[in-house]
Amino acid sequence: MIPQVFVGEEIPHSEVWLTECIFRRGKHYLIEAPSGGGKSSLMAYIYGARKDYQGRLLFNKTSAADYSIDQWQEFRRRHIAYLPQELDLFPELTCIENIRLKNDLTGHVPEERINEWLERLGIAFRRDYPAGKMSIGQQQRLAIIRALCMPFDFILLDEPVSHLDGANNIIAAEIIAEEAARQGAGVISTSVGNPLLLHSAENLKL
Amino acid sequence: MIDRLLRRNTSAARIAGFVISNLVGLAIMGAGLQFYLDARSLWESKDSFLKSDYLAINKIVGADAMWGNSNAEFSDEEIADLESQPWVEKVGKFSKADFRVYASVALGNQTPPDSESAESQQGRRMSTAMFFEAVPDEFLDLASGDFEWNPDSPDIPIIISKDYLALYNFGFASSAGLPKLSENLVSGLPLQLTLSSDDGNKRVQAYGRVAGYSNRFNTILVPQSLLDHYNSELGRNVTSAPSRLIIDVNSPGDAAIAPYLESKAWEVAGDKSSSSAAYMLKIVSAVIIAIGSIITLLSLLILALSMSLLMEKNRRKLHSLLMLGIPVKEVARPYWRITTLSALCAAVISWGCVFGLRTYYLAPLEAIGASGASMLWPTVMIAALTLIIICINCKGVTRRVLQAWSK
Repeated sequence: MIPQVFVGEEIPHSEVWLTECIFRRGKHYLIEAPSGGGKSSLMAYIYGARKDYQGRLLFNKTSAADYSIDQWQEFRRRHIAYLPQELDLFPELTCIENIRLKNDLTGHVPEERINEWLERLGIAFRRDYPAGKMSIGQQQRLAIIRALCMPFDFILLDEPVSHLDGANNIIAAEIIAEEAARQGAGVISTSVGNPLLLHSAENLKL
Repeated sequence: MIDRLLRRNTSAARIAGFVISNLVGLAIMGAGLQFYLDARSLWESKDSFLKSDYLAINKIVGADAMWGNSNAEFSDEEIADLESQPWVEKVGKFSKADFRVYASVALGNQTPPDSESAESQQGRRMSTAMFFEAVPDEFLDLASGDFEWNPDSPDIPIIISKDYLALYNFGFASSAGLPKLSENLVSGLPLQLTLSSDDGNKRVQAYGRVAGYSNRFNTILVPQSLLDHYNSELGRNVTSAPSRLIIDVNSPGDAAIAPYLESKAWEVAGDKSSSSAAYMLKIVSAVIIAIGSIITLLSLLILALSMSLLMEKNRRKLHSLLMLGIPVKEVARPYWRITTLSALCAAVISWGCVFGLRTYYLAPLEAIGASGASMLWPTVMIAALTLIIICINCKGVTRRVLQAWSK
């Protein structure tokens, strides 16, 4: 697979582009690349948000190109969780409303666990605060919690901790690893230098 | 929550703009159609015994007719020419009685004997010479059986012009101090008829019965079979060309009819203004409905544009909602609801406007003789157009939601 914009260009050796790359459930992957390497594009391809690539994307050997809109939406509720780099929060909704918007759709996470996560990530006091008025770091923590509010086989995290300090990075990594382990899911995260501090992650160069 | 998110940026003014323009468009169309249907009966009043609208035509009587050398009769060539006109379905000839008819009626005989009025006990007798004509049976609706003649019965069914009754009631009866007669009463009167040959040697006595009234024909119609029977029994056995023709026309309002008849110096019996008035009614209604449909079309555009503007403003949110895996239907639903509610709102109010306007004009219209039509077609039209507007816009909404799939 390769993004269309790279076709015909000279690109550095990559462990993902122009080769067969397999992600397995239960494993952790960290994709590192300089800015402009196509990390966000890869995430968007896997999540079905963009299709401007050449090559093939297969889920359990079925081609993603054949998925209908409704199948993708089903996928996004049951199989693949995604934290986009730009977070995609709704600024006019409160912190807890942003989470509920997703959790009411999947009915996956009990209220107590959401509260526990809010406590551990230190944003419980912002529970009823409009998301748009929270700091970027706080918004990032909120978006991580929201991304976890569904059953998933893989969770895609596009620079999830770019605005977090080391301590919060470790807490976020713990929570993500716990939830992934609970579901036997794989974690794919990207970074340009401030990686999510997951244990035993396989590094891939893009 | 999705509702609350997406209803942001909704402009009440734009939606109101759509509702008002749609409402005005639909109301104009509905009222135009309704008025056409209601007023149509003024010109298209059918005689109950006629299968459809026919025209009876004759030649205009000129000065030379007085000298007896006119040809008021239609020649075979003229009839053939008429039959070749595109607006003519078929042409029938009026046949004349070749014998004399003398009718008398006893007024007041119906009054019970104990009545106080000496005059009505005595009764009054009126008698007149008259004539018969007949048209081919295929032009008449004989299903009712009222206008059938049986050679064994002395009962002769006749159809007279409504004008004759009006002439009697409002012209003659009031000045002569005679009672006015209703249509039903006249139908019940025993009309004594004496049919005699031209030289008076042969006579037949019969009873006449008024079987119907005609708006279209200024004549006294009897069944064709009866006329043929007595023509051969009492007549001189001379065949004459018809001086009146009955024409089955495709549409009585056809614009080509009047100029053709005028060029031939022929005229239509009865109300000559009716075909051009019906034509005008059609034209005016068509113009009104066209204006209404243009306004409706514009309102459809206003709704489509305001929805698309609203969704363009909310595109980022639509994208984010789709990214959460929310089904397309649920993302589109708030916009479907706005579209449907505003279109339904406009439909209901416009229907109300048509209804209100109708109650306003119906009484005067009925006073001049129209029988109101049902509101079925305007209702169906408003409902159908509203459904189309809703469908088109809901499709547009879904398309725009899908456009937000990729940023």
